[in-house]
Amino acid sequence: MGGGGGGGDGEPEFQIAPMIDVLLVMLIFFMSITSAQVIKVNVKGLNLPVSPNGIKKDSTRNEAIVNVLWDAAKKKPVFNIDGREYKELKQVAEQIKLIKKAGERVQAKGANQEFRVVVRGDRECSALSINDVLNAAGEAGIADVSFSVYNKEGG
Amino acid sequence: MKRVAIDPNEGTVGFQIAPMIDVVFVIMLFFMVMAGAVKVEKEHNCRLPGTVETTKEVPFADEQVISITAKGEILFNEEPMAPAGDKLMPKLRDVLKRVKANCDAAKTPAVLTIASEHEAKHGRTMDVLDCAAEAGITDVSFNLVEAE
Repeated sequence: MGGGGGGGDGEPEFQIAPMIDVLLVMLIFFMSITSAQVIKVNVKGLNLPVSPNGIKKDSTRNEAIVNVLWDAAKKKPVFNIDGREYKELKQVAEQIKLIKKAGERVQAKGANQEFRVVVRGDRECSALSINDVLNAAGEAGIADVSFSVYNKEGG
Repeated sequence: MKRVAIDPNEGTVGFQIAPMIDVVFVIMLFFMVMAGAVKVEKEHNCRLPGTVETTKEVPFADEQVISITAKGEILFNEEPMAPAGDKLMPKLRDVLKRVKANCDAAKTPAVLTIASEHEAKHGRTMDVLDCAAEAGITDVSFNLVEAE
């Protein structure tokens, strides 16, 4: 009978080529899921809180990312937007407004077109400093705010 | 003089499939282990308050208050729920799940107010939000209070 895999006598042989194909596909899959999770917007000295029940980050939206670092010695927050440090809240609000203006010209990749502010606050930050950022977002006319967290400790 | 026939394939090493598979297996194992241990950034979404036109009557909300002190203690309606170092807060998680179940049964929205003292840590607020998210409570508002 014609067809069928394997060698003679109807005995299927171990095929090395498809096994290598499967292996390589699995390798690429695991490589992509580990490298895709690498946090692109990392700021030195920023230690986000841990919250396993947070939802998956939506990276398709137009957003202004406000990093709130905590100066433990001075007991004061340091605001960082796009790598630049701001100590005054007024500057933060103005910067958010500028990013919002620039973001409005570009259409977001995802379905949700609303501009948002992502607050990446250090776990040691005071509630008052986070509240100040919310005020700045409100001043810039943005109601949609997200708090960034890690899913687990370490790593 | 004796002539020796030269084999062109002699001395060249052919492509070895077995060590290649070994290497691929090792790399794959490494990435499989890494995939489980990777730290991912997640988020909690919220909306700032504003004025909204109401066209229908607003349902009565059963509001609960969670207080966070500067030291990190958590109180639920003035009742202590977790000391400063307790990150898991099992008592608060249970209480919030019961609140959510009661509100669902009564068909009223479960509303939570997180009242933090000015110097309370942001990490503690996120711990409470995590409990609320686990319980399925989505209506959360933030409030700042002066330390007593």
